[in-house]
Amino acid sequence: MRAYARYAFGRFLQFLLVVFIGINIAYIITHATPIDPVEHTVSVATAFGHTAPEAIESMRQSLRELYGLTGSPIEQYLNFWRRVLVADFGPSLSAFPSPVSTLIGRAIPWTVGLLGVATILTWIIGNLLGGLAGYYRRSRILKGFGIVAMALHPMPYYIAAIILLIVFGYLWPILPISGGAQMNVARDWSFEYVMSVARHSILPMLSLLLVGLGGWFVGMRSLVSNVVTEDYVVYAELAGVSKRRILTAYVMRNAIAPQVTGLAISLGHIFSGALITERVFGYPGIGSLLVDGVHAGDYSLVLGLTTVSIVGVSLAVLVIDLIYPLIDPRVTVN
Amino acid sequence: MFVVLRDLLRYNSEFLAGILMTGVVVAMALLSFVSPYPPLDQFVAPMDVPPSAAHWFGTTSRGQDLFWLLTYSIRNTLAFGLLVAILSRILSLSIGLLAGYRGGWVDRVLMSINDTFIVIPLFPILVLFYFVMRDNMSWVMLAVLTALLGWSYDARLIRSVALSLRHREFTQTAVFSGMRTHEILSREHLPFVLPIVFSTSLNNMNWSIGLEVTLAVLGFTDINRPSVGGMIYWANQHSAVVAGVWWWIAFPVGLVVMLFIGLYLLAISMNEYIDPRSRLERGGGRKE
Amino acid sequence: MSAAMRNPAAKPEAAQGPVVAVRDLRAWYRLRLFGVDREVKAVDGITFEVRKDEIYGLAGESSSGKSTLVKTIAGAMRPPLEIVGGEIQFSFMDGTMGLNRAPADLVERVRWRHLSYVMQGSMSVLNPVRRIGTSFFDFAFRHMGLDNAGFEAAVVAHLARVNLPASVLKAYPHELSGGMRQRVTIALATICRPQFIIADEPTTALDVVVQKDVLAMFRSIQREMASSVLFVTHDMGVHAHLTDRLGIMYAGRLVEEARTPDVFARPRHPYTRHLIHSLPRIGDDRPRIGLEGTPPSLANPPSGCRFHPRCVFATERCRVEVPPMEQVAPDHRVACFEKDRVEATP
Ligand SMILES: Nc1ncnc2c1ncn2[C@@H]1O[C@H](COP(=O)(O)OP(=O)(O)OP(=O)(O)O)[C@@H](O)[C@H]1O
Ligand code: SF4
Ligand SMILES: [Mg+2]
Repeated sequence: MRAYARYAFGRFLQFLLVVFIGINIAYIITHATPIDPVEHTVSVATAFGHTAPEAIESMRQSLRELYGLTGSPIEQYLNFWRRVLVADFGPSLSAFPSPVSTLIGRAIPWTVGLLGVATILTWIIGNLLGGLAGYYRRSRILKGFGIVAMALHPMPYYIAAIILLIVFGYLWPILPISGGAQMNVARDWSFEYVMSVARHSILPMLSLLLVGLGGWFVGMRSLVSNVVTEDYVVYAELAGVSKRRILTAYVMRNAIAPQVTGLAISLGHIFSGALITERVFGYPGIGSLLVDGVHAGDYSLVLGLTTVSIVGVSLAVLVIDLIYPLIDPRVTVN
Repeated sequence: MFVVLRDLLRYNSEFLAGILMTGVVVAMALLSFVSPYPPLDQFVAPMDVPPSAAHWFGTTSRGQDLFWLLTYSIRNTLAFGLLVAILSRILSLSIGLLAGYRGGWVDRVLMSINDTFIVIPLFPILVLFYFVMRDNMSWVMLAVLTALLGWSYDARLIRSVALSLRHREFTQTAVFSGMRTHEILSREHLPFVLPIVFSTSLNNMNWSIGLEVTLAVLGFTDINRPSVGGMIYWANQHSAVVAGVWWWIAFPVGLVVMLFIGLYLLAISMNEYIDPRSRLERGGGRKE
Repeated sequence: MSAAMRNPAAKPEAAQGPVVAVRDLRAWYRLRLFGVDREVKAVDGITFEVRKDEIYGLAGESSSGKSTLVKTIAGAMRPPLEIVGGEIQFSFMDGTMGLNRAPADLVERVRWRHLSYVMQGSMSVLNPVRRIGTSFFDFAFRHMGLDNAGFEAAVVAHLARVNLPASVLKAYPHELSGGMRQRVTIALATICRPQFIIADEPTTALDVVVQKDVLAMFRSIQREMASSVLFVTHDMGVHAHLTDRLGIMYAGRLVEEARTPDVFARPRHPYTRHLIHSLPRIGDDRPRIGLEGTPPSLANPPSGCRFHPRCVFATERCRVEVPPMEQVAPDHRVACFEKDRVEATP
């Protein structure tokens, strides 16, 4: 137990470090800009005819602090952090005067729902099939699957998405190719709405699965084929321990550990994935929000999304780190 | 070295396929030096001509010859991948070797930083970068930033190799003979990690090129510099698929997929050569 | 049959029959690297048997093929190791030729119940992500015919025989020392009291005191059950204390076999003599004579008698012909052309 506490504390420090370094990178980058974002933004906002003076003032203030233009350098830096910590990025330009945090809050469930579920689903299916393929080397079906997965694996995600879109959008239009749910359905927890959300998620989900499966499959298959030659597996087989128990408790349990670390890393790529998936399929998550923000020149929104992604990813990794000792008890030792 | 190459070519069909595919792509890139069209010129050819004898890959809606444009694009894309690979190798090598060799708190600090970079979401940061730089951004800057963010995965691998070298006899001999840390690392340890550096650079190139293509497709790079992603971006801008100008998308996509698969095959066949365990498996072959 | 074996008073009639008979066994590592074939003939034509109610020792220098031999007998071959020829016949598996050819359900019933095996390097045979207790459960529960409480009590009692506290059941392998892990493995292999135990260097990581206890436990379990043990170690001192008969291996072949006291008193093979003379003895300050030359390559072994490049007795014939294993006295076999000259030499 003490070992676990020490381990958990270490992981927590690592989490803080990730957030700290990540947000500092964002700070440095925003300060590398050669144009004055504040006056640029304010002028765009007024040019569109937004004249509510207090909202403009509030935007100017938050931008000044986020971009560190008020006070001494140290004050600038601290103000930036204060804003980030309370997630107050001021009003957004593209949806003026809605606060950035509201926009992000609205988009996050879509992204986490689609990308989170897809990532975890891909991980489970890929590892399961890969593990079986590593254990039952002679199975024809699994071998065939391996070849398909290998061929799909190096394909850039964008391409896979486009192909699906062409197939199901133009050649054989049976699935919705854009949006998060049907527009004319009320957004509550009715059956109709949930079904519509599910149907809209099929294509993006499928595209993520297609491209993602191969990596897990190939990785797990080679992990398993290494683990089956480990002494403890050979020994359990010699002892006549049942095949099923060996496959689950000996082979898979040991092979899965590095894959769990991999899952943590790929959760980190959720936000990269979101950008393209949501762009291609017109999905209303934070990826689309980010692209729109960039095109609209919405500084506060872009910065807000960047910091939220950094914190969100680090949190996901922290959670996985904390449960990791259940999978491999050895990590708490060193 | 030559023998290794010969063995790989003779007995490893993945390596052969990888070499061929990458070779075609590189040849394409080299052709750009003899291109009859300057890369940035538009409306020098008829618009929307399907592939034909005059224009092998057809022409774009912007009046460019697709074949010759593609030679420039793939050259630029390759250059980007190479630059990132080289820059990030410098980082991952020095950090991985140092952490593995020194161990102790140096290792712990470096690896904490390393793990941080592994999990930090790159894409939003790159987008933010594009966002603040806008027209001032060049591909070299993008490559530098990508390298700065993309060294960590391989540094960990290199560290684990260096860690195992630390306790070998020759390291101790070198220490007693009074060599300095950087001398030991560069003269004694570097040769051992070079093979793994080589195979990870191939993966790294795949990764960074994928990143660049994606950014460009979204229009988040210098879209006027020809690149494979940029071509897809412009094709999308002109709704090429809907307008039936399929070749505008198909050839860039085909070529870059070929590059991806080629580099990937090279990397896995090299890995197999380096890791004796998988080699044994291949050699032993007859698993029950 | 197993019921009869459980009762130490009722010794089976055929008490002296073999529990395993090995005939002309050949087991090679076959490697193919980029088109080049390589065969390591680690076991190359071995014939011997382990009788009921005895401890049979196997000795020989490192990489002489001891582990390969017992691995093959225990049915623990993995590629690239293959049986190239020969037979393995167990008393408890009538009519089947070894574990690798028997039907799977029979093998499953026999393992651990009749035959158990302690692998060399038993540090790594315990599943690193499970507690020790679950390993005992996986391996032994279905053979013991006990309820949960009874099973646990039996395990705890058995662990005590190898000086381990009950608390190790709750531990993970990485939380135990190397010696503790080795004792856990031994306890795991002996808890079902099988008829035949194969132990490959089971005591190498143990300190002398614990080693003595573990050896005593092997002896007492063997006595109690009238079972058979095939015990591998290169430590001739251990053989002298523990084993009833002793086989000496050199370069994939058995070169001499006799009752253990006879091996030490009247070795007939030059290699056996070397092994025994190189044993340290108290009060003996003669310099130990090392063996000339390097150990043979099993991929490309010397012709004729494999020992000839290092043998002081070697003749021209030894270079060409392979010496057969011949009976020289009751229970004493040797494979050497010059065995009489060897015996006559002081
Ligand atoms: N997996 C393997 N692949 C190829 N060759 C092997 C393999 N395992 C063992 N060998 C070779 O087989 C020969 C016999 O090895 P073995 O392990 O049987 O020796 P040993 O007598 O048990 O030695 P030790 O006393 O060191 O345990 C050695 O030459 C070894 O190199
Ligand atoms: S047969 Fe010849 S070489 Fe072999 S041990 Fe006997 S004397 Fe020596
Ligand atoms: Mg051995």
